[in-house]
Amino acid sequence: MLSSLKLLDLMANSAESIARQWAKDVGRNPKTPYYHTIDQDDIIPQAVEFYQKLSRVYTDKDPFTAIQRFMGKFAEERFQEGVPLHQALYAIVLMRRHIWLYAEFQAIFITIVEQQQAMDSLTRTILMFDYIAYALTEKYEALLKCNYKNNKRG
Amino acid sequence: MQSYAAKLFDLIDLKAENIAAQWAADVMKHARTPSYGSLPKETVIELGIKFYRLFRQMSLSDVPYEAAKSFSWKYAEECYRKKIPLQEAFYALILMRRNLWLYADFQGTFVTVLEQYQAVESLNWTILMFDYVSYQLTEKYHELIKIDVDKQIGSIKTLIKDSTFGDQGHAYKTAIMIILLLGACILTYYHHSELATGTIFTHLFYIPIILSSLWWGKKGIFVAIFLGVLILVSHALFLKGTPFTDDIVRAVMFVVIGGVVSWLMGGVKKLEDLYLTLKG
Repeated sequence: MLSSLKLLDLMANSAESIARQWAKDVGRNPKTPYYHTIDQDDIIPQAVEFYQKLSRVYTDKDPFTAIQRFMGKFAEERFQEGVPLHQALYAIVLMRRHIWLYAEFQAIFITIVEQQQAMDSLTRTILMFDYIAYALTEKYEALLKCNYKNNKRG
Repeated sequence: MQSYAAKLFDLIDLKAENIAAQWAADVMKHARTPSYGSLPKETVIELGIKFYRLFRQMSLSDVPYEAAKSFSWKYAEECYRKKIPLQEAFYALILMRRNLWLYADFQGTFVTVLEQYQAVESLNWTILMFDYVSYQLTEKYHELIKIDVDKQIGSIKTLIKDSTFGDQGHAYKTAIMIILLLGACILTYYHHSELATGTIFTHLFYIPIILSSLWWGKKGIFVAIFLGVLILVSHALFLKGTPFTDDIVRAVMFVVIGGVVSWLMGGVKKLEDLYLTLKG
């Protein structure tokens, strides 16, 4: 897990640059039409916050609980904004891809040892994003149910 | 990328049943996928086999995203029919991917340095495929929910929507209501003053009462109040000497029925709001 630290540093220190590239991408990706009409500057802060929070839990022994907590808030905000779940999920996928694109562009994994580190980081990142995607879906479904129950009661 | 991942595809093709059985054992007892625990094991294994066979199809396709739909849409439909919550269906997919890697690792598929390189490429390919499938799964799931909600509130929606009457829906509704209320006034006058009876004609009043509550919700209750006052005033004018009791009960029932229908419509309108939220 320690070999993932290089990527972790990159994520924490370059959150804004990665977020900026993500915002550009999500704003024109055909699978995320919701974001096409939104000003890029408005969505950059949510990605910066996401990367910073992710870097904080990246090395936790049991990151699931922490991820569930910060993704709960993230999901609630996206739900209130009216972002459809599949698009919110794909925006997260793009966030993950942009960490790697940025890392590749910065050439942080070059030597054979670094390549091994890359493999470890990749595995760790996938695990993190599995939890993130699950937490996002779980929260969205809970919010939908809650909304439905409130509507029925009201 | 596909040539590097070929080794993995061969393994998956050859051992799809074994990997699916391993996945089934995992998913059926996993804490995040409790719904799978109650399904027959053969059904779960079958789902897994379909997923693992998808790899070859996708690798051969010019548009892997489209090829992924052949699995993900059916998977979504099957899970939805079995009432499996979306987050569980999603996590089951994650476990499918993990079991694939566990199996490949256990079989010692990627040992040498070159094979390790192939492993990275295969991993990338698997993740890409998983990204597609998970996107299509969530999209399809919500489409299915929308269809379900549409079916459930469809007929009521037709009644309450202005579009039923075209662009000038509100004007048409008002015109229809005025005609119905005029009819009610004429009927009341005819029965009370000419026939001197308060018989069953008042049952017809429920038509404008229900329609107004359907169309205008709480505001529609004014029609019920108007009709209640109408029969009471008419009674006072033309049926002197006849007890008021029956018409008082009728007038109260108009308001009660109008109130109940508009209250129910409030719920339906909220369901419609939820439907619009789902529509996105």
